[in-house]
Amino acid sequence: MAEKLGIWLDERLGWRGIWESIFLRKIPKVNWAYTLGSATLFTAVNQIVTGILLTIYYVPTPDHAWDSVNYITTEVTFGWLIRGLHHYGASAMVVLSVLHMVRVIFYGAYKFPREVTWFTGVFLLLVTMGFGFTGYLLPWDQKAYWATTVGTQIAGAAPGVGETILKIMRGGDELSAITLARFYGTHVWVLPVALLLLISLHMYLVIKIGISDVPKKGAKNE
Amino acid sequence: MEENKRFTRRDFMAFATWAIGGLISLGMGIPAVAYVIGPALKGRENQEWIRIGSASKVELNNPTLFKTKILKQTGWIVNETELSIYVLTNNGRDYVAMSNVCTHLACRVRWISDQEQFFCPCHNAVFDKAGEVVDGPPPRPLDRYEVKVEEDQLFVRGG
Repeated sequence: MAEKLGIWLDERLGWRGIWESIFLRKIPKVNWAYTLGSATLFTAVNQIVTGILLTIYYVPTPDHAWDSVNYITTEVTFGWLIRGLHHYGASAMVVLSVLHMVRVIFYGAYKFPREVTWFTGVFLLLVTMGFGFTGYLLPWDQKAYWATTVGTQIAGAAPGVGETILKIMRGGDELSAITLARFYGTHVWVLPVALLLLISLHMYLVIKIGISDVPKKGAKNE
Repeated sequence: MEENKRFTRRDFMAFATWAIGGLISLGMGIPAVAYVIGPALKGRENQEWIRIGSASKVELNNPTLFKTKILKQTGWIVNETELSIYVLTNNGRDYVAMSNVCTHLACRVRWISDQEQFFCPCHNAVFDKAGEVVDGPPPRPLDRYEVKVEEDQLFVRGG
């Protein structure tokens, strides 16, 4: 039955070819360090799922943000779990991204013809840092408030344009409802769209070009 | 390749991948569903006696409107909401407290004393003095509160 349905759909969608080129593609003999990219992708999926769930209760205004986060953590069934997964998943995503990057650097996997894959990866890391920076403010507690005060102040230290950047980030001279709302909008709309586009391109290139072999001492060009 | 029917290493890996993936999806999916529907399953826990006013204000055989402000917690917000209750007595000892919420689609009913009927403006529902349906679409009489009198003060149970 399932097989018949699969054939019926394959005749119309051609999904089997896509499935095979994604999951059954040939790869060189590699080691566990090559799973770091998939691990990072897994944390991204975790962040998307738990992030969407958190928006069901979270309210991004100064008079409700902390209360709604507290409500999620203490009152909602499994709220502590969803928030915990999002909180620790964020750290895991940054750590795994960097480890993945380190592997690519050490194996020289960023070289021709994979430069564009590397660039999209660099932008993905920047987007991930952006997620971390904007998401940190959302609970609107003391730590969030002062971390963002300091963080935006650091941006303000840039010569010449610093002051302007600082004001644009805060939406004014100081942290306010405007800052919280724009950090939220960036966190749930701008960055996710960027993340999905970049991941799509990154994955397409990884599959299209194929991954690099583990470099070997004295190996000749094939 | 000689034995195609055997459960190969590749089959095992595929099976393990699906199994672990399934476990993770379940581990995430079940809490996610509970998380979303959680607040809907919470019962009305705070059923307390609410003082609505003096029993001597209730006119004999004429539903009298009492308005009380109560604090209601929804999620993390505590709001003051107004409770409107019609109280009826036939003898000055036994009291009936009726909600002014129409049992059809929750509009608010009004007592029209000339006609001795409750009238709902939304869909022309009509209830009699005791809250029984006289005309219109409501499926049941007006809801009643548990009521008690202590030292001339009227209390209803609700939250």
